[in-house]
Amino acid sequence: MAASIAIRLIFFILLFGCVFAFEDDFHEELLVKPMKNGQVYTSFQFTTTWNVSVEDEKSFEHYHLFSKSLGEVLSHYSVQELHLSLTQGLWHYEKWGYPVHDAPPGAELWVWFRPGTENIDQTWTDLINVLSGMFCASLNFLDHRSVVTPHLAFRPTGVTPSHHQRLFAKNIRYATLPNENVCTENMTPWKKLLPCGARAGLTSLLNAYKVYDTSYHSLGVHFRPICMSDDCSVHGVELVQSLAAVFDPTLTSRSQDWSLKKLFARTMSSSCPVASSSIAMVDLSSNFSSPFTLDPLPSREEIALRGRIKVRYAVYEIRDFARNQRVFNLAAKYKSEMSFSANEPPVVHAQRFQTGYGQAKGGVMSLLYNHHPKENIIVNYLEVIPWFCRVYLHTLKIESFDKTVHDISANGTIRKPMHFHYVPGKDRQRPYHLELLLDLPPNSVTRLSFEFDRALLKWTEYPPDANHGFYIGSAVISTVVRTAKHINDTSESFFLRLHTETLLITLPTPDFSMPYNVICLACTVVAIAFGSIHNLTTRQLIGGISCGENAVLV
Amino acid sequence: DFFDSGHTNNWAVLVDTSRFWFNYRHVANVLSMYRSVKRLGIPDSHIIMMLADDMACNPRNPRPASVYNNANQQINVYGDDVEVDYRGYEVTVENFIRVMTGRLPESTPRSKRLLSDDRSNILVYMTGHGGDGFLKFQDAEEISNVEMGDAFEQMWQKRRYHEVLYIIDTCQAESMFQTFYSPNIIGIASSKVGEDSLSHHVDPAIGVYIIDRYTYFALEFLESVTPDSKKTLGQFLRVCPKYQCRSTVAVRTDLFQRDPEKVLLTDFFGSVRNVEITMETLSLGNETTNPQMSNQVCRSVNMSDCF
Repeated sequence: MAASIAIRLIFFILLFGCVFAFEDDFHEELLVKPMKNGQVYTSFQFTTTWNVSVEDEKSFEHYHLFSKSLGEVLSHYSVQELHLSLTQGLWHYEKWGYPVHDAPPGAELWVWFRPGTENIDQTWTDLINVLSGMFCASLNFLDHRSVVTPHLAFRPTGVTPSHHQRLFAKNIRYATLPNENVCTENMTPWKKLLPCGARAGLTSLLNAYKVYDTSYHSLGVHFRPICMSDDCSVHGVELVQSLAAVFDPTLTSRSQDWSLKKLFARTMSSSCPVASSSIAMVDLSSNFSSPFTLDPLPSREEIALRGRIKVRYAVYEIRDFARNQRVFNLAAKYKSEMSFSANEPPVVHAQRFQTGYGQAKGGVMSLLYNHHPKENIIVNYLEVIPWFCRVYLHTLKIESFDKTVHDISANGTIRKPMHFHYVPGKDRQRPYHLELLLDLPPNSVTRLSFEFDRALLKWTEYPPDANHGFYIGSAVISTVVRTAKHINDTSESFFLRLHTETLLITLPTPDFSMPYNVICLACTVVAIAFGSIHNLTTRQLIGGISCGENAVLV
Repeated sequence: DFFDSGHTNNWAVLVDTSRFWFNYRHVANVLSMYRSVKRLGIPDSHIIMMLADDMACNPRNPRPASVYNNANQQINVYGDDVEVDYRGYEVTVENFIRVMTGRLPESTPRSKRLLSDDRSNILVYMTGHGGDGFLKFQDAEEISNVEMGDAFEQMWQKRRYHEVLYIIDTCQAESMFQTFYSPNIIGIASSKVGEDSLSHHVDPAIGVYIIDRYTYFALEFLESVTPDSKKTLGQFLRVCPKYQCRSTVAVRTDLFQRDPEKVLLTDFFGSVRNVEITMETLSLGNETTNPQMSNQVCRSVNMSDCF
């Protein structure tokens, strides 16, 4: 008996030893940024860190806070880094500045596979199928017809593996699905990955009826390996789940005032008990142009340096409110009813549109703005064009203009790209992949354009709504800038990624009822013409003899 | 009696085959069924839902992230924890047949598979635009009633179901199950051959018809069903008489072995696990010390079956 107790004790010690060996943390964060035009940008960020190494496959066996369903997938498909976003609406850089996590309209997925992963293309195919089931999105359409291996546009955001650096550079896959819808069905599985689900903490604010009633909303899942110690001798992994939405409180009431209750129609009465930190922050930078007061008063104020720009934040420790059994409803009251001012545009932004007319030819034109008064900015421009738009590379033209010149139809200074990477597309097999490294002069607009031919699809390749048109995914602009109103970066210069508009093009679409019409018409002609001619030519017409009432025509 | 119906698990395959905003009602139909089966206990992992278009977050929807069964916004059938397995362009005849017969590519995730067995009761609900002998998918292709019948036969041969309740809400819906020849299928159609199925009413805020008659009344009936209710399939077969539906609800019961009047509705719409309460005290001592007790509990059954 004593022996069995001793064994049990040892077992429990071992069990607790295992439990306590977990070093994982969960942080939840809400950033509210009132913008000068009256809109309110809210960005949720849920971060789980865990002290396991992606290189050690056995480490993904015992789970605590990290989502098991996702962890198993990442480990099974040798994922080094994964970034998925599901977005609806377009981020307006000129009006809103830069978001915390940039995302194009629709779905975007880019994955770094671990070095030594065999047959990456097959692994990607299996992974997108699993992710499509996991997030209720049609990610399985991100197949070889839309996937590319970017050359410079995407770098790992986390720790890179210590060996096989050269081979590792080819282990990335990138694809977008510009026409993917995002709705509650995507948020449901996204919430399930969180340790507190939708029950407590900041997630309890996420009311689908309000979040999806906004002009821009974006869901994101970002997984990367990170350093857990200062000298980076201990590696860990980080899972960031983000949700952003841009609300417009002025649409429903004649005042700029906003509160969490007004935006989400919910308040928060508890914090997630397993969260190490649970904070809400309000960006006070628009407080100068349109002053507002916050209720309740913040726990503290923090000043963050963004390059040379100071940003003030009001910080709320949500657990203090939850501990005192108080409902947390952050509210801002404006001094004047409506005081809007225009935002100055950020340093770099871009616009893209299609050119040309008719159903045979088309083109793409992008305008890349550099608003910096003195400095050149080097940007990488990535364009992935579906195979059915056959790009003519010789039509690629890059010109730059002084920003003060409004007529950009004129000829500007011809620019040559500093670096050039082009993989031509193949029909039904791979997209056109163009990457350019461009040097944007200060205070300038750079115009980039090329032309393409629209392909005629096979009739089974047309989607059911072919007349709606076909999408070309966003172009991706990556750059390093010195100053910008970014949120999560305090270094002197930092990396920036922007996405342009998606394009909706029409392909020559046949009238699908045409074969039916032809069959009907042909049958009618045969029935009438052939039938009557056959009748006339084969029947013998003899005049009948009238026999009283029974006149017969044979 | 435990499971006298003979099934141990429940599945639901709910298919909307129509795209475009003017077919809002078909999405609402499927979501009505989804709401009912989920409420009655079938988990999302056992529901395969196919929606050919996104109505809830469609820019034309004045009430984002919700689909109502009624212009008075009685029931939000979309809910706030919905999961859709096949959506948009994924809703094709091929995918539907593959899901039913289990012939999916290897990398297909579990949530997109019908992992049923010979003890599964499956509810199959389809809605869309149809005609005599076919149902259109996304206005681009169609499934014929012969293909449908063969798919069920394949399922039967592969022991993928125990019983099937097949409900279809479309024009001339009866024609879809006239060609079925596999056992244990009961079919309900919203209209007879030669009849159109009609929609219920318009929501002026949405601008189109928002639900079909048969499903509207079926949902109304299902709302009164609880997991422990004793409502029978026979009662459900009488839902939507001609004065409500304006079409004749057709039923096919000849393939079904049991009497629908004695089949609980929750055998198909719910996932009810029976619990039998015994008033006798059972001693869980060693069987060597009390062999008679064990014998009492397991009459005429092998000892090994008791454990």
